[in-house]
This record gives sequence, structure tokens and C-alpha cells, in this order.
Amino acid sequence: MKWANVRLFAWHFWHNATKPRTFYLLYLIFLLLAAYAAVSGIQNHIAQNDIRKFHQEKARQSWEANPDKHPHRMAHFGTFAFRVNPPLGMFDHGLESFTGNTVFLEAHRQNSVNFSDATFSTGTLRFGELSIALLLQLVLPLILFFIGFSGIAADRENGTLKIVLSQGANWLEMILGKSLGLCGVALLFVAPILLVVIVVLIGYGAEVESDLLWLRLLIIGLGYMLFLFIVSTVAIIVSASSNTPKNALLRLLGIWLLLVVLLPKSAQALGNYWYPTPSKLAFQSAIEKEKIQTGDSHNPDDPFYNQLRDSVLAVHKVSEVTDLPFNYSGFVMREGEKISSELYKKHHADLLDIYESQNNITRFLALVNPYMAIKQLSMTFSGTDFSSYVDFQEQADTYRYQLSQKMNELQMVYISPKKKSGSEGKTHVVGHEHWEEFPDFHHRPMAFGNSFKAALPALVSMIVWLLFIFWLMMFTSKKAKAI
Amino acid sequence: MKYRLFLYQCLRSKEVRISLLLITVLGIIGIVIGNRQLARQQEAIAEVKAYQEQHFERHVSLHNDDLGLLLYYVKFAFINPSNPLAGLSIGQADVNPVVKRITIKTFEAQKYDTDLVNPMNLQSGNLDLSFVLIFLLPLLAIVLTFNVISEETETGTWRLVAIQAKSKLGFILAKLSVRLLLLFGILVVLFVIAKLVLDIPLDANFLLLFVLTLLYVTFWFALSFFVISFKKSSGFNALLLLSIWLVMIVLLPAGINAYVSFKYPVPEALSAAIAQRDGYHTKWDMDKLATLKKFYAHYPQFREYGYPTEGFNWLWYYAMQQMGDDDSREEQAALLAKIKLREQTSRSMASLLPNMHVQLVFNQLAGTSSEQHIDFLNATEAFHEKLRLYFYPRIFEGDKAETIDWEQFVPEYHQTNTIIKPLWAIMPLLLATAFMALLSIPGARRL
Repeated sequence: MKWANVRLFAWHFWHNATKPRTFYLLYLIFLLLAAYAAVSGIQNHIAQNDIRKFHQEKARQSWEANPDKHPHRMAHFGTFAFRVNPPLGMFDHGLESFTGNTVFLEAHRQNSVNFSDATFSTGTLRFGELSIALLLQLVLPLILFFIGFSGIAADRENGTLKIVLSQGANWLEMILGKSLGLCGVALLFVAPILLVVIVVLIGYGAEVESDLLWLRLLIIGLGYMLFLFIVSTVAIIVSASSNTPKNALLRLLGIWLLLVVLLPKSAQALGNYWYPTPSKLAFQSAIEKEKIQTGDSHNPDDPFYNQLRDSVLAVHKVSEVTDLPFNYSGFVMREGEKISSELYKKHHADLLDIYESQNNITRFLALVNPYMAIKQLSMTFSGTDFSSYVDFQEQADTYRYQLSQKMNELQMVYISPKKKSGSEGKTHVVGHEHWEEFPDFHHRPMAFGNSFKAALPALVSMIVWLLFIFWLMMFTSKKAKAI
Repeated sequence: MKYRLFLYQCLRSKEVRISLLLITVLGIIGIVIGNRQLARQQEAIAEVKAYQEQHFERHVSLHNDDLGLLLYYVKFAFINPSNPLAGLSIGQADVNPVVKRITIKTFEAQKYDTDLVNPMNLQSGNLDLSFVLIFLLPLLAIVLTFNVISEETETGTWRLVAIQAKSKLGFILAKLSVRLLLLFGILVVLFVIAKLVLDIPLDANFLLLFVLTLLYVTFWFALSFFVISFKKSSGFNALLLLSIWLVMIVLLPAGINAYVSFKYPVPEALSAAIAQRDGYHTKWDMDKLATLKKFYAHYPQFREYGYPTEGFNWLWYYAMQQMGDDDSREEQAALLAKIKLREQTSRSMASLLPNMHVQLVFNQLAGTSSEQHIDFLNATEAFHEKLRLYFYPRIFEGDKAETIDWEQFVPEYHQTNTIIKPLWAIMPLLLATAFMALLSIPGARRL
């Protein structure tokens, strides 16, 4: 294989593809769309984060404004955890619109994460969301197919293919060269977009923290290049193995529809079919059932709590809970919180396992579908994928647990042991300085290492695809016929 | 005779046969998926019906003496039953819960609680029949029509047609109508399967859904005719039609959606949530008298229970809970107004875009639109209010739980209103088709 020939093919293809006026029209439309997507993405990112930040502060202000009161009242006063939109969320919206934004955190109750954009949408959201990522994943491959379908098939139809091959070029040089040429065209589309993303990130992105932002962007950028190279090569290979350009176009469109629309949708539908999500009632009542079995702090005759009380009394060598050196109700609540949180965590982990099983079909189909691989990769490194959402949920629940236990401990220490119950009004209170002492919820971005782990299947399948595409090039170049 | 030849000619192409088969198979898969969704909702409803009774029994036995405490725990189910058409157009039914279980405490805190949903499923969307009809059927229409004229010129038969056919336009229209009827035939098959599998009654809504689908396909044929009447090459027609498909089906709706959510963000949702929390929780350390006065201002009929301000009592407790709703009224109203605004904006934009319009009408007919979900939430609120008014006096009286007939509290059903004006549903499609036909007149004359 002569590199000079490859270069010649690449340059020639690039030159031919970018010469016609229709190309510039297409290019202009794409750039305008990208600009619209970028502007709305940036504005949405800024507006959403402003809204969430404002409300996080507002919720905090009213938390701190509480007077001296019984700590259990504060445990139920609770607070809110607002999800922060990661900087790269303006580039790839991922699951942002489908995951809730905020969760109310209170003692012994795990509330759902509510107010996703999907719940406030008319249903038109399901047509898709306009983001720069969507343009790169869905529209650009189609454009590359439109440009590349006649790459070799047209030469075959008008007879120039024979001439070119008889003049010393070989098939591999031609396929690789034209693929690189088409990939060069793709670069024309990608470069300005990445440039804009970089500029915007420098301008606005720095306001929201993100773990290793630039490395994330680098991986995403390289991922898209690889993806577009794969797409370009597929276009040229299909063109090389089709008799007429029309056939090549039809096949490419079939491939696009299969990879971009049908496979992803059916993969998720299949996962949903095979691993059904339990109903909320089944989920909640399973937890409730187990809670009753281990011990129900609300039941006065509960054997578990009676035993707990007796052992605590024995250790402190007293006969009544009011003689203990600490507030017993606070102690019971602390133990109860520990048990119920563990239980919830266990069941929630099971639920997440079901979701993971559903999503795994999509994840494994990435091995045969580079579109799904780049989609996963892009979402994950942008911090808008499923794992980032779970990460937020866990942060919020950990904070909820700490808050409840802190309040229970305040109750144990500061509320008179003589007092059994009653948490209203101005008696049996703890100083309000404790409210300020407890730090506010702060949504930390997902660690890069975790994103990397989540994206590993996608990364592997991208590399497998790269190897496969080179093999396919070799294979086609041996099989292809000039006529 | 002519028509049979046309049909034969159309079915000769491998691409056409594969795509016809594909759309039928996908349509059936869509119906199966919709059926599964309906079955799951039925299971959830059956579950809650079986569960509610034992749920009451357990809590009544635990807290028989303390009705106030009992009502802190017990949840009452309110059900939004899906109609069989929801299996055709799942719409928002995947994100919005079918069953709401509520306590008589602050409603606002329970209103927007979601079901267990996997966001990845929501993002990929449902592969129901409405998806196949709205997204994929136009592609089939394109495959069937893009070369109807160009094929004749490319194979050199156009001259023969020009000489022999009485009217060239008539010839092309006949070719097109054969293809259109072929598609109609497939649709009839799919709708019959759907009717049988999902057990859909043959009512006006089902008929309207079917008619809308036929009109939608006709619109795409009209659009295609406009494009091919320029007598460009097959490749060019295919490219242009697919670009139109991409813009209409993917880019425009996505753009409209981006516009709506960016133009009307809903910070009101978060403000309402905070106002609701503060409305209830801050009352714990406020003057009891003030809370009770506020409560009686809302419910003067309960004044007789007086102003007990010593120690804890349930009257005051539920008055505080009530304040969670009452004190957040303003924010709630703002939120609802914002949601309405979003609805209206996307609806009016959608009426210009056949695919979006059809999707919204489908959801309306199936009872799975977001508007109908808001209706359900409002009905849930009324159900909640009914419970409150029933239990408040009994709690305040200090009744025992056993004096209440718990069997009357079976899960209640909401009646979804799916009636829409057929003319309103059909008009945008008729207008769009007529518009395309009008645009095609010059091209048709040149044929």
C-alpha cells in the first residue's frame, strides 16, 4: 500500500465533496442548527443551574431561620437536594430531562426525585431533544452517508473505476483514502462545534465544578472523531460493494435507520420487557414488610424494641428509660433510622439492579452498534448518564441519613432524658445555632474514575469497532470487483 | 387490469417488499409492547386493590384508639385506569403514575410524587404502535413513492406513457393511488390486530384514530407527489424526501421542544415545593391560636372544635398540615399557569406540524396526554379533599378507628375525558394535505 496514493484519494475525495454549492448549503444549515442547539443548550444550562442554586439557597435560608426547637422537628423540617447540571450538560443533555431535579430530604422517609422536565412536557419531548450531541450522533452520520454513498459506486457506474484501478491504485488504498477524505469532510463539521464548546466552557462552564473537565472533553472529542471515522468508512465500504449509487444510498439509509432508531429503541424495550420494573406499591410494601419483621419502632409492643430497651437499661443499670443519661426516644430513633436506611438501601440496590439489567441490553448492543457506543460514551463523560443520576441519588440519601442522625444525636444529648415525647412548641428545644452548624447539601460532580468505569463497555466497543472496520476494509478490498 | 399491473410492478422491488414486511412486523411488536404496558398497569391496579384492605386492617389494629395517628399513616388509592387505546399510544403514561396513594396530610407534598421509572427507558421512548405510525410510516410512504415518476424516465418508459396514456397526471395518480391503497391495506391489518390484541371497542375514538392515520399517510403522499413532480432523478428525490422527513420528524419537534422548555422554565415547581414545606413545618413553633384561626378561616364549619392551645392535639396538627397546601397556593397557581402556557404553546406550534399534531391527538384519544394527567391530579386533589372533610370531624371528635366503616374506602377510579372534536383533530391534516396539493398544481401541469 502506497501512502501517496491514499493521500491522493483522500484529498481528491475531499475536494470533490466540498466543491458543489449544495454542500455549502448543507453546511450552512448544519451550522445554523448547531448554533441554535448551542445557544439553547447554554441558556438552558445557565437558567436551570441558576434556578436550582437559587432554590437550594432559599431552602437553606428557611432551614437556618428556624428558631430553637426540638431536633426531631428539624429532622422532619428537612431540606432539599437539587441536582446540578454538569458543564458538559449543555453539550449533551443525556438523561437530564428524564431524571428528576430535586428531592425532599427528611427523617425516615426516602422521597422520590421529582420534577423532571419530562413530567412537565406535552409528550413532544419524545420526538427527541435538540442538542449538539444529537446533531453529531444522528444528523451528521446521515449527512456523511448522503455525501459518501456515491463515493465508489458512481465511479463504477460511469466506468472510471476500471481506469483508476488499471493505473496502479489498489482497492485498499482507494477505500482507506476515500474514507479518510470523507472523515476529513466530517472534521469540517465537528471542528467548529468543538471550538464553540471549548470557548463556552471557558466562558461559563468554569462556574460549575466538574472533575477533570478538559480530560472529559478530550475523550468525548476523540470518541466522536473515531465514531465519524467508522461512519465514513462504512459509507465508502457500502458504496464499494454496491452496483449503483442508488442501491448504496438505500442500503446506507437502512443501516442508519437500524442503528440510530430501531436498535436503540428495541434494545431498551426488550430490557423493559424482560426485566419489568416492580410497581411502586410492591417496592414500598416489600420494605414495609421487612421493617415490620425486624422491628417497628412505632409499635409499642414490638419485641425487637422491647429487647433493645431492656438491654440498654441493663447496661446502664437503671430500671426506667427516664433514668438513662441520654434521651431514650432519640436513641430509639437513631437505631430505627439505621435499620430502615439499611433496608431501603438494600431494596433500592435491588431496584437499581433491575434498571441496570434493562440498560445492559443497550450497553451490550453497543458492541454491534457504534451509535449506541458513542451515545453512551458522550453521555457518561458529559455527566448526564444513568450512573451520574444514581450518584446524585446516593449523595442526597447519604446527606439525608447524616441529617437525621445528627438530629437524633442532638436529641439524645440535649433533650432531657426525663422527657419521653412531645416535640412541639418552646419546651424541650435545642439552640438554633446547631442548624447553621450542619452544612448544606452540596451536589458534587461524579468523579472521573467512576465515569470512566461506567463508560468502559462503550470505550471497549469503540475500539473493537475500530479493529473491525480495518478488517472490513481489508476484506472488502479483496472481494470487491471493478465492474 | 391496469391497477393489478401497477400493484405487481410496485411489489416487484425487493426494497418495497422488505419495507412492507418490516413495518408490519414492527407494528405488531408495537402492539405487543403496548399490550404489555396495559397489562402492567392492570397488575398495579389489582395489587393496590388487594393491598388496601390489609393495609387498613394492620393500622386500625395498631392505632385503634388514636384516629389522628392512624390517619398519619394510612394511604388511600386513587386510580387513573387506562383505556385500551393507551396500548396504542402510551404517551405520557410511562412517566405519570396510574395509581396515586395519598394520605390526608398536605396534598402538595404528594402531588408530584413519581412512579419508579428507569430514565433510560423514558429517553429511548416507547416502541408502541403510535411510534411506528408516526415515525416510520412516512419512511415507507417515501420508499413507495420516490421513484414513481423518475423510474419511468430512468428506464425509458416515460415516452411510451406520454404517447399511450390518456393523461400523464392520471397515470401517475393511478400509480400513486395503488401504493396508497396498499398502505391502507396494511394499516387495516395492523388496526384489526390491535383491536383484537388490545380488546379495543369499536367506538368513535378508535375510528377517529384510524381516520387520522389514513389522513396522515395521505399527507405524506401529497408531499411526496410535490417533490417528485419536479421530475428530478430517483436519488435526488430520495435524498430530498428523507431530508424533509428528518427535519419534520426529528429536528423541528426537537427544536420546538427546546424552545418551549427554554422559553418557559418551571422554577415555580421548586418554589411551590419549598413553600409547601415551610407552610406546614414552621407552624410547629408558631402560636397555635394563629394556626387554628387560619384553619377556621378556610373551614368555618369546624369552628365548633374551639381553640385548644395546650399541649399536642390532632386538630392543631392537621391544621398545620393544611397550611402546607394553603400557604403555597400562590406558587401552585403559578406552576399550573406555567404548565398550561407550555401546553398551549406546544399545541399551537404542533398544529402546523402534522406529525406532532397527530401524536398529541393520539395521546388525547388514548387518555395519555399531559393535559389529562393534570386533570387526574386535579381529581386526586378533589378526592383528597373529600377524605379530609370526612375524617377531619371524626379525628377532632376523638372517634375510635373501629367506629369507621373502612370497607367503604375501596380504591376509587378517575374518569378520563377522551372526547375531542373530530373536526379539530382532522382539520390540520386536511389543511396540510390540501396545501401540498395546491403547491403541486404547477408541477402536475408540467408533467
